[in-house]
Amino acid sequence: MKKLVKHPKRLFGVALTYLLLLVVAFVFLFPILWLVLASFSKSGSLYSFKGFFPTEYSFDTFKKLFVDTEMYNYPRWFANTLFIAVMSSFLGTFLTILTAYCMSRFHFKSRKALMKTTLLLGMFPSFMTMTAVYLLCTQFNLVNQHWGLILIYSAGAPMGYLTQKGFFDTISISVDEAARIDGASNFQIFIKITLPLAKPMIVYTLLSSFVWPWSDFILPKLLLKNKDLYTVAVGLMSLDNTEFSRFAAGSVFIAIPIVIFYFALSKFLIGGLSAGAVKQ
Amino acid sequence: MTANNQSFWKKTAQGVKGFFTDLGKKIADWFRGVPTRWKKRFDSVKTLLSNANGKVMASCFVMGLGQLLYAQWIKGLIYLVVQVAFVLFFVFVGAKGIVGLFTLGTVEGNAWYGVEGDNSVIMLLLGILSVIALVLYIAVYIANIKDAYKIQCIVESFKQPPTFRRELGTLLDKNFYKVALALPILGVCVFCILPIIFMILIAFTNYGGKTVPPRLVDWVGLENFGKILTLSDFAPTFFKIFGWNILWAVLSTFINYFAGLGLALLLNRKCVKGKVFWRLFPILAYAVPGFITLIGFKFMFSYGGPINYYITKAGGNAVGFLDIDAKWPSRIIGLAVNAWLCIPSSMLLATGILSNMNTDLYEAARVDGASSWKQFTKITLPYVLFATMPVLISQFIGNFNNFGIFYFLRGGLYIDGYFLASDTDLLINWLYNMSIDNNYYSIGAAISIVIFVVTSVISLTVYVLSPSYKQEDTYQ
Repeated sequence: MKKLVKHPKRLFGVALTYLLLLVVAFVFLFPILWLVLASFSKSGSLYSFKGFFPTEYSFDTFKKLFVDTEMYNYPRWFANTLFIAVMSSFLGTFLTILTAYCMSRFHFKSRKALMKTTLLLGMFPSFMTMTAVYLLCTQFNLVNQHWGLILIYSAGAPMGYLTQKGFFDTISISVDEAARIDGASNFQIFIKITLPLAKPMIVYTLLSSFVWPWSDFILPKLLLKNKDLYTVAVGLMSLDNTEFSRFAAGSVFIAIPIVIFYFALSKFLIGGLSAGAVKQ
Repeated sequence: MTANNQSFWKKTAQGVKGFFTDLGKKIADWFRGVPTRWKKRFDSVKTLLSNANGKVMASCFVMGLGQLLYAQWIKGLIYLVVQVAFVLFFVFVGAKGIVGLFTLGTVEGNAWYGVEGDNSVIMLLLGILSVIALVLYIAVYIANIKDAYKIQCIVESFKQPPTFRRELGTLLDKNFYKVALALPILGVCVFCILPIIFMILIAFTNYGGKTVPPRLVDWVGLENFGKILTLSDFAPTFFKIFGWNILWAVLSTFINYFAGLGLALLLNRKCVKGKVFWRLFPILAYAVPGFITLIGFKFMFSYGGPINYYITKAGGNAVGFLDIDAKWPSRIIGLAVNAWLCIPSSMLLATGILSNMNTDLYEAARVDGASSWKQFTKITLPYVLFATMPVLISQFIGNFNNFGIFYFLRGGLYIDGYFLASDTDLLINWLYNMSIDNNYYSIGAAISIVIFVVTSVISLTVYVLSPSYKQEDTYQ
């Protein structure tokens, strides 16, 4: 403390830093806090709020969310979302891990060409082909089908194999070679050695491919026309001003698992995000 | 300043020139290699055909026959079945499909007279699938001849050709990748490549508007692109949206990137205690699904929302922040909301990059008496820019095609002077309005090709100009 007093300039710098941090924390926290408070509002309409704050607090909205399902069947939407997200997470992870493993371990003839193709395909924003996907789905009878969404999500998943490939590249090849000398085939090596070593990466892939369908709104909005088939995202989008607290409660409920995931994974996230950056 | 500017342009020009001379050289090399490569291929085919015995030649005519003659029963049968199946497919479906790809249907359906017409869209789809099937068949055919020749070579050197069971065994070992990659590649082909091909082809037809099945669709060449650039309906809207789209992408990428970097640097300061705690708030914002925050912000800025509550309470009139006449307010709100959504991730990215950084340079700079601003512009910024350039480009493309922001904040508004769009819509929103809400499929497909070309040209140019491309070994 004494040291700080001696350097008023430095003290000023520290104070400014903390002030800025407080402002940042407030800016990021406030909208979320507002939604959380709104979910505990007794009356549902946005017009009954006193500015940012509800007039009266209660648990009614949460109760209503699960009981009053005639117009807005939230439990149903929640189950739909869960089903789609879990299935596409498993399928997508399976495909991604297989792709990443092959790209990392096998140096076959068309490997370079495949990698370049995925790079090129990645330049087409997935969104752009939406019309085509929609038309294809109408032809294949995949509109109003949860399996259609699951297929699209999981089929697109292997395109993001690079992070996983990077991980497999770091697993030393000498382990594989030792096993091969003992007579193991590549299939056995994959099942018995590589997969157990890749557990953290599998968990990461599972979770990250869970998050995307869990919070996506474009595809479900496009492909699900029947109110009972909606996912939470599409359902919440259909609520208007008078159902504001219902929206808030539904949001809080669906955001909680994701928030928990992200905090559990924050270390992985930094790694995953910088995976696209140039390595030292 | 001018001198600086000049040198900047000079450098830029040199960078671009260098890239294109490099590219030109590579392309020229590739073309120069074509004759030798073809000669090689031709030679190998020639040696194969001149050395091949009757059994291999039999495989050229009937797939699998050579294998059967060498008593490779199961493999031969499989090839034979493939050929029979393909011939049947081609006679009954494939040939019609490929013809249909060119005609897109000749008989228009008429419910009055009970005429069941051709469905052009299905024919287009079937045509693409038939071409893919044909290509696959040719690949299998070549594999069949090569396989027969391989058996011949083995037999001629007095060895036993591998049994079918042993060959299956290699699928779990040496050729494991073939089995493992089959499913992912199939999925990507059907759900990523097929739609892209389909979309590209649709851009050259007149599909959409009133021309949807049962009416016949036809090829129109480049007409759709001409329409976007010249027709009074589309062209003004296109150029207005395009200009705003570029401005939006540049501004939002710039804001998000530098705000994220600034936040990371702020958190990295030595005097900050409890970094984990402070980092919690942006991560919290990052974790909440985007559509929730977007709908939330829409409520916040709506007429009955909290902000207008305070304005009216203070005696003012409620403001329509996102209303039909609120061009710049909604644009600025869009930028701010996008910043709220994206700064956390760019902060996490910058934190990751900064933690990998070598701190010796700062030590040296401090000894030399460099100010902290100098340290930032001369050490931190070049390093971070270098390391994140690929990510920055993908962020730029992501922002260029940011569908969600204005879809949620101001979706469904059509404004005078715009064709089926509003003054905040980006090209991607326009594309959505046109093709999903209003059936202008072919124009929509043409717009998406324009988007693709623009984004790839911009990202390529930026990448070429970036330090990551020019001096790849500076920081290594």
